[in-house]
Amino acid sequence: MPNKQKELLLKYGISSLAVVAIAIQLFLANTQRLNPWKGGGYGMYTGIHYYYNQIYIPGMVVDSMIADNREMKRILGRLKLMPNDQNLVKAAKFVLKTTDKDSIQIQIWKPRVNSENGDYSRELVNEIHFKKSDL
Amino acid sequence: MKYWLDIKEKLNNNIELASHLLLVVLGAYIFIMAEEYSLYKVPVLFVGLFSWFFLRHKTKHPIIWIVLFVLLILDLSLLYLRVANHHFMLTFMMLSVLLYTYHKRSDILLKNIQILLVVVVMASAFQKLMSNQFMSGDFYYYMFNRGSLFGVFLKLFPESFVVAKSNVQSMITLHITNPNIGESIVLKDLFPNVRSISLIFTWTTVVVEFMVAIAILWKPRNTWTHLLFAMMILGIICTRLEMGFMALLAICGIFLCSNLKLRLLYVLIAMGCITLIVTKIGYH
Repeated sequence: MPNKQKELLLKYGISSLAVVAIAIQLFLANTQRLNPWKGGGYGMYTGIHYYYNQIYIPGMVVDSMIADNREMKRILGRLKLMPNDQNLVKAAKFVLKTTDKDSIQIQIWKPRVNSENGDYSRELVNEIHFKKSDL
Repeated sequence: MKYWLDIKEKLNNNIELASHLLLVVLGAYIFIMAEEYSLYKVPVLFVGLFSWFFLRHKTKHPIIWIVLFVLLILDLSLLYLRVANHHFMLTFMMLSVLLYTYHKRSDILLKNIQILLVVVVMASAFQKLMSNQFMSGDFYYYMFNRGSLFGVFLKLFPESFVVAKSNVQSMITLHITNPNIGESIVLKDLFPNVRSISLIFTWTTVVVEFMVAIAILWKPRNTWTHLLFAMMILGIICTRLEMGFMALLAICGIFLCSNLKLRLLYVLIAMGCITLIVTKIGYH
């Protein structure tokens, strides 16, 4: 490689990698609902942390479901971080496998704040109805 | 006086100083992250320790840097969507220093750090501009009212502290209810004019981040650039104890700044951050 090209690569190669990581994050955020807090796009503190997103499964208490089940915690944690259809199906399949239910509904809600009137409420992000027969 | 001369001598060699501080931050970070996928890390650490103890004088390769870089890459590949944003920055900074140990060109290393810093700060500002929740002031309004901004100072104002606790409790109570009912609560203001202050704070954040990114791109060694950058770092530390990221920004400052007093300020910030990371008072 000629010296000039080598020098350019050494000078700007690493920052180009950083730009590529940011582009991947933006792509995943816009197509796969990835939260801006993660993925190397430096979007932390641009909105309420995804930790405060709520997974709602009628008839089940999510906190006790994840208390002693690492895999459940991982799958539902991933769902909060990236609440797309694919992760909803994964979560629904896993929950159905570990329970005796015939069908399940999973919803993801995120906090919504209105600084004009101080109103704090929740907004539905995504949901799924899944039957055991779909497994 | 002699101590100051010793400190000055150390400050003069900013690349060595910043690299050593980066190594300490990295050591603390790797130690905190070691529990994740620990089985994969055992052979890397074992081989690394063996090579460092027995072969470090027989090879020109920087064994410690290589081992720590491999551990960072392991975490990045296994936990790509779970690691914090500063994990990415740390990896890129490490790569810059690792390559420097081979090419030995300080101009290339400093260009790497300068452009990386510009990209990171600029991306952060653009992400804020693209977020409706941030630009409307709703995010800071929420953070203020739950006591998540300037939390260190909040305990000095007992009345505000009680209001923040009550807001958090109301949110927890709301989250227990079925969200389909559509219930909501009204947050109590921590202090008068929270909404206006949130909006001002929102725009100040974005403007300062853009100014810092442009200043570092345009005049990376200038004293005024670094005064602004150091003020931004200190401002962020006052709002949240985000020590991992702030330590990295301060180390970038040491690499780029030519003013000895400001270099010392960056060193003190980085050391303070490292102390709070290790004691887990601040976030890593």
